[in-house]
Amino acid sequence: MGQVDLAIVDQMVCRIGADQHKLLELLHAVQEHFGYLPTEALERLCQLTRISPAEIWGVASFYDRFRRVPAGRHTVHVCVGTACHVKGGELVYEAFRRYLGIPEGRDTDQKMQFTVMKVACLGCCTLAPAVQIDGITYGHLTSESVGQVIEDFLQRKAAGRAEPAKGQRTAGEAKAEIRIGLGSCCQARGSARLKQALEQVLGRYGLDVPIKMVGCVGMCHQTPLLELIVAGKSFLYARVQPQDVEEIVSRHLRLPGRRARLLASIAGRLERMVAGPPNGHGRADLLDREDRLVKDFLANQIRITTECSGQIDPLDIDEYVNAGGFAGLQRCLQALSPEDVIEQIRISGLRGRGGAGFPTHAKWSAVRSQPGTPKYVICNGDEGDPGAFMDRMLMESYPFRIIEGLAIAAWCVGADEGFFYIRAEYPLALQRIQRAIDICTQRGYLGDSIMGTGFRLRLRIIPGAGAFVCGEETAMIASIEGRRGHPRFRPPYPAQHGLWGRPTLINNVETLATVPWIVRNGGQAYAAIGTQSSKGTKVFALAGKVARGGLIEVPMGIRIRQIVEQIGGGCAEGRRFKAVQVGGPSGGCIPEQMDWLPVDYETLTQAGAMMGSGGFVVLDEGDCMVDMARYFLQFTQNQSCGKCTFCRIGTRRMLEILDAICQGQGKEQDLQQLQSLAEMVQKASLCGLGKTAPKPVLTSLRYFRSEYLAHLEGRCPAGRCRALIRYVITERCIGCTLCAQHCPSGAIAWTPYQVHQIDQTKCIRCGTCKAVCPSDAVRIQ
Amino acid sequence: MPRLTIDAKTVEVATGTTILQAARSIGIEIPTLCFADGLEPATSCMLCVVKIAGEKGLVPACAAQVVDGMDVITDDQELRQARQVALELLLSDHIGDCMAPCQLACPAHMEIPAMIRAIANGDLDEAIRIVRSAIAMPAVVGRICQAPCQKACRRGKVDAPLAIRLLERLVADLDLQRGDRYTPKVSVCPRPNQVAVVGAGPAGLAAAYYLAQAGIKVTIFDQQPLPGGGLRYGLAGQALPEQVLDAEIASILKLGPVFKMGLQLGRDLSLEQLRSSFDAVLLAIGASAKDQAAGLGLSAGKDGLVADKQTSQTELAGVFVAGDALRPRRMAIRSLAEGRYAAACIQQYLEGKPIEGIRLPFNCHMGQIDPDVLTQMMALASKAAQVRPSDGQAGLSWDQGQQEAARCLHCDCRKAQTCRLRHYAELYKADQLGFKGSKRAFALILEHPELVYEPGKCINCGICVRITRACGERYGLTFVGRGFDMKVAVPFGRPLGQGLEACVGRCVEACPTGALAWRKG
Repeated sequence: MGQVDLAIVDQMVCRIGADQHKLLELLHAVQEHFGYLPTEALERLCQLTRISPAEIWGVASFYDRFRRVPAGRHTVHVCVGTACHVKGGELVYEAFRRYLGIPEGRDTDQKMQFTVMKVACLGCCTLAPAVQIDGITYGHLTSESVGQVIEDFLQRKAAGRAEPAKGQRTAGEAKAEIRIGLGSCCQARGSARLKQALEQVLGRYGLDVPIKMVGCVGMCHQTPLLELIVAGKSFLYARVQPQDVEEIVSRHLRLPGRRARLLASIAGRLERMVAGPPNGHGRADLLDREDRLVKDFLANQIRITTECSGQIDPLDIDEYVNAGGFAGLQRCLQALSPEDVIEQIRISGLRGRGGAGFPTHAKWSAVRSQPGTPKYVICNGDEGDPGAFMDRMLMESYPFRIIEGLAIAAWCVGADEGFFYIRAEYPLALQRIQRAIDICTQRGYLGDSIMGTGFRLRLRIIPGAGAFVCGEETAMIASIEGRRGHPRFRPPYPAQHGLWGRPTLINNVETLATVPWIVRNGGQAYAAIGTQSSKGTKVFALAGKVARGGLIEVPMGIRIRQIVEQIGGGCAEGRRFKAVQVGGPSGGCIPEQMDWLPVDYETLTQAGAMMGSGGFVVLDEGDCMVDMARYFLQFTQNQSCGKCTFCRIGTRRMLEILDAICQGQGKEQDLQQLQSLAEMVQKASLCGLGKTAPKPVLTSLRYFRSEYLAHLEGRCPAGRCRALIRYVITERCIGCTLCAQHCPSGAIAWTPYQVHQIDQTKCIRCGTCKAVCPSDAVRIQ
Repeated sequence: MPRLTIDAKTVEVATGTTILQAARSIGIEIPTLCFADGLEPATSCMLCVVKIAGEKGLVPACAAQVVDGMDVITDDQELRQARQVALELLLSDHIGDCMAPCQLACPAHMEIPAMIRAIANGDLDEAIRIVRSAIAMPAVVGRICQAPCQKACRRGKVDAPLAIRLLERLVADLDLQRGDRYTPKVSVCPRPNQVAVVGAGPAGLAAAYYLAQAGIKVTIFDQQPLPGGGLRYGLAGQALPEQVLDAEIASILKLGPVFKMGLQLGRDLSLEQLRSSFDAVLLAIGASAKDQAAGLGLSAGKDGLVADKQTSQTELAGVFVAGDALRPRRMAIRSLAEGRYAAACIQQYLEGKPIEGIRLPFNCHMGQIDPDVLTQMMALASKAAQVRPSDGQAGLSWDQGQQEAARCLHCDCRKAQTCRLRHYAELYKADQLGFKGSKRAFALILEHPELVYEPGKCINCGICVRITRACGERYGLTFVGRGFDMKVAVPFGRPLGQGLEACVGRCVEACPTGALAWRKG
C-alpha cells in the first residue's frame, strides 16, 4: 500500500475544525478521500486536534459507515430492510457476492472494484429489493438481474454522470406545467432520464412549458410519476419511460401544426392503472384521479404533514410561501407568545412521532422552563427503522416545512442554535435540507434576525454514520458531540441536561413537519382529527406484500384493515394477508384476525406492537413469522451499542436461539428460555433499543406460537426458512433448461426435453430456478 | 435534601446522590461490577438494578439519582433473578478457567497451581501449608498417587504434564526432613464433642487430622495392631517406605487424636455402644463394610454402605461413612479427600448447621481448548522438558522442583480470589452454562511487561477506559467496535504498554475480573 498523503488531513482540519464535535465530520471527510480510514490519517487527526486517541479510535470503530480497510472503487449497498427482506434482499446480497466473485470473509472483489455491503434500510421500501451503488439506486432486483445492474452501472459511469442538471424553474404562473416526481423512489426509477427526454421533446417542438420537479406524491408503487397540468386539469401518468414522453406531450399540449391529431389523442383511449408488478407493457399509464383505485389510495388520506403533496418544488421557497409556508412562524414572531404556541400544541394533542408518543407540548415546556442559555434544538432525522421511509420523504419533499417547525420550536423554547441529525444513507435528504437551510438563511427565515424580529437561529446538519442506536436521544447527543453513540441513563432528560450539558429539545422530523400546520390552523383543528388519546394524522410507509405501497398520511384511529385493503389494495398477486408489522424492530406483528384494531398509540402498544416511527409492512402467507422475529432481532442485535449486558449479550443469545429454531434445531425448552430472556431484556435494558428489541419476538410468540412449534418439528409452514425447505421440480417441467442455465451452484443437470432434477447437496436454495421457470414447475417443499 | 426509603429504611441524602450511594450510606450493599468510586457511572453490568415503586422496568442504581419521596427496593425475588440472568449472560461470554483443571481433577481439590507457584517462589512454608490444607498425608500421596491431576494438566497437551506428584512429594519430604515441621493451626477453643473414627486407614486418618484441627476430640479404633489400614497392609511391595507412613501418622497424632488398636467393630465394639458414647461416628472401615452392613443395622448398596452423597451421613443420625466403605476404589487420594469431606460434615452436624460438606466455589470452565490457546499459554512458561528424578525411587531436588514449577502454564485465573464476577456468580447461584452461544476468543496479551491482559475475560465494564481517561493517559484505552463484538483496546492498535503508562496499578486493581492482572498472579 502506498504512502498515505497526510497533507490532505491537515487541510481537512483547517476546513472543518478541530473540536470534538467535528469528529464525525472529519472522519466522513477522511473516508471520502481515502475510501477508508487509514490509521496514519487518524493519528494525524489526533496530532492536529484536541480530540483524544481513545475518542478517535473509539468513534471510528463504532459507526457502520466508517471502514478500517480499503474499499473497492464502488460500493454496492444492498438493502436488507424489512420490505427488502421479505422480498428476498438476502438472496440479492448473495447474488452480488457470487456475481463479483467475492471470497468468503471479505466484502470486496479481488480487483478492488466493488465492495458489497448490507445496509439496514435504504428507505426505498416500495422498490424492494433495492440496492444503492455509489448513490445510484436500483429497485426490484432479483438474483437474476444482478449482472444487468452491474453492467448498467458501469455503462453509466463510462458515459459520465447521468445526474440531472439543476432543475430549470420558471417563475410565475403558467397555463401549463409538467411535474416530475423527485423523491428517491421516482429518481431510482429514472425520473432524471425522464426529465432529459422531456426537455428534448419540448425543445424540439419549441414549447415553453415549465418542468417542475416536485416532492413525493406518495404513490411510490407507480413511479416514476409525471403530471401534466393543462388549463387547471391534471393528468397523472404512472411508470413513465423516456420513450413515452413524446406521446404524452403530443396528447395534451398544442403542438404547432398538429392540432387535429392532438384533439383526437385526448379524446382517445385512457390507459388504466394496473395494480401489481412493474409496468411490463412498455407504455405509461394515465391515472385517472377519478379511478376507483386511485381514489381509494388517496381518499382515506388527510394531507397535513404532507400538505401540497406532489404539487410544490421541494426547494422553491416562493412556492412554499405561496402555499402558506412560514405563515406559522410569522404568526409566532409577530402575534403570539411562546406560551400561546405551546398551549396550541397542547390543545392539538400532538405527540412525538418518533415512536414513544411523548406529548410534544410537555417536552417544549420542559425545555422552555429551564433557566439560562444556550439551549439547543435538534431535529431527529436518523430514521433507522428498516421498513420506514416517512422521514426521508418528508425531508426530501418538504425541507422548508421542517425548518419552519424547527424554527417555531426553537423560538418557543428559547434556543438559538439547532441541528439536523440525518442518516448518511439519505444523500438526497441531506442535500435538500442543506440547500433549504442556505436558501432560508439568504431569505431571512434563518439567521441573526429572522423576519427582522431579532429572533436568531442557526442550523447545522450532522450526517449520521450508520448507527441505528443514534436515533435514541441521549445517543444522538453523544454522537453530535463527536463521541460513540452510547445512550446514557435518563433522567436527567435532555430537556434538563442535553447537548454539552445544556437544555435541549429533540423532536422527530414528522413531529416538526406537523407544527406549522397546527400553528396556522390552530390546535383545535388538529385535535378534531383522530381519537381520544391520539390526535391528528400519522404518516406511514406502507410497504411489503401490498399491491399499492407508498407514503400515506392517515387519520389516527383508522383501522388496520382500511390501510391494507382500501389504501394498499390488499395483498399483491392475490395472496392471503397474514399480518402487519408495525413499528419495525421496536414493534410487532399484528395478525390478520386483529385487523379491525384502530391505529393509535395505546391500541398498538396493548397489542404488543408500537407506533414506532411508522413502518407498516404487510406480510402474506409466504412470510414466516419466526423468520420475521429472527430478522428484526438480527437487526437490533447488530445495532446494539454494546453498553449494557442485557442488550449486548441478551439479544445475541435470543438471536442464537431463534437461529437454531429456524435451522430446525430448536427444542421445547428453547421457547421457554427465549420467552423469559426476552422479558428480562425488555425489563432491564438501559435504553429504548434494548427495551423494545424483544417486542417482535414476544408478539410472534403470542400470536404465532403454532409456527414456532412447527419449526421445532422441522417444518416451516411458510416455506421460508432455508434449512427447512427443498426446491423440487414437478412433472410440469417442459425441459427447457432455463433453470439449469441460471442455477448459480450448478445443482441442475443440463437435460433438454427431460424433466429436470435438483441436486439437493448442491442446491443453495436461492430460488432462481423458481423465478425463471416458464412453466411454474418448481415447488418448495 | 431529598428523603427516600430504601428497603423500608428512611434516608436523607444530598441532591444528586445516586440510589447506590444512598443505599451504601445506610449499609445496604447493592451489587455492581462496573461502578467505581470517583468515576462517572457506566450502567454497563446492570447488576445494580433496583425497583422504584410506581415505575415499571428495572433501574440501574449506579446512575439513577434519588428523588424526594422515592421508595426503592434493592432485593427481592425478581431482582435476584435479573441479577442472576445478567451474570449468566456475562459468563456466557467470559472465557477462562477460575480453577485449573489439575485442581478440579484432584479428588482433594488441592490448590495445585498455588503450590507450584510457591515452589517457584522458593517458599516452602507456603507450599506445605497449601498441600496440607487439602491432603493429610502428602508424603504418602506423593509416592503412590495415580495423579489424575497430571492427566488433566494442560501442559500435557503440549509435551508432558507438570510432575505434580513429585512436586507434592518434594514439598512433603522436605517438610518432614526439617526440624521445624509444619503444624496446622488447631482451634484454640476446644469443643466438648467426641467423635469416634472406626478405621485407621487413609479416610479415617484424614478425618481425624481435620477434626482435630477444629478442636474436636477424636478416638480412632482399628482391628490391626498398627494404624495405616490399606496403606500399611494393602500395598504389598509398593514404593511406600514404612518410615514415611509412620512419619505422616505421627504428624496427625501430634494434633491429639487417640488410637485404640486391635478392636474390631462387631466383635469388640458395637455401633450402638459407639453411638451412645460419642457424639458422632465415622465408619472408615474399608471395602469389607458392605458385608458388615446388616450386622451394623445399616443398608448396603451395590458398592458399599449407603450414605447421603452430600452429607455422607447414613440413615442413622450421627453415623457417617468415608473411603472404600462407600465404594471400593483403592485410591488413597480419594479416601483422604473423603475423610476430609466427612470431617467437614461431622463438624457441621455437631454445630447444628445444615450439612453441606465442602462446596467447591463457583468455577468457570473453558473445557476443551484449541492448540492455538496452548501456544499462547506457553508464552510465559519454561519450554524445558519435564524433569526426571535421578532414579526410579528418588524424588526431585529442590532445584529440580523449581525448574519443573517454571513449566506451569498458570492456566488458572490470576484473580480467582478477588474476581468480583466470580464472587457474585457464587452469591446469586449463577450457572455458567445458563446460556450457550458464540463467545469471544481466548487471548493472552503480553505487551505490557508486568501485565497479562485477557480480553476473553473482559466484561466491557469500562472501568479501565474511564480510569485512563480520568488520569490523562497519552493513549489510554478505548472501546473498539460495537455491540456484541465490542472490545477494550489501545487506540491505533498500539501495544498495551503505551496505553497504560501512568495508571497501570489503578486499572489492574479496579478491573473486576481477571482481564487485567499482574503477571505474578
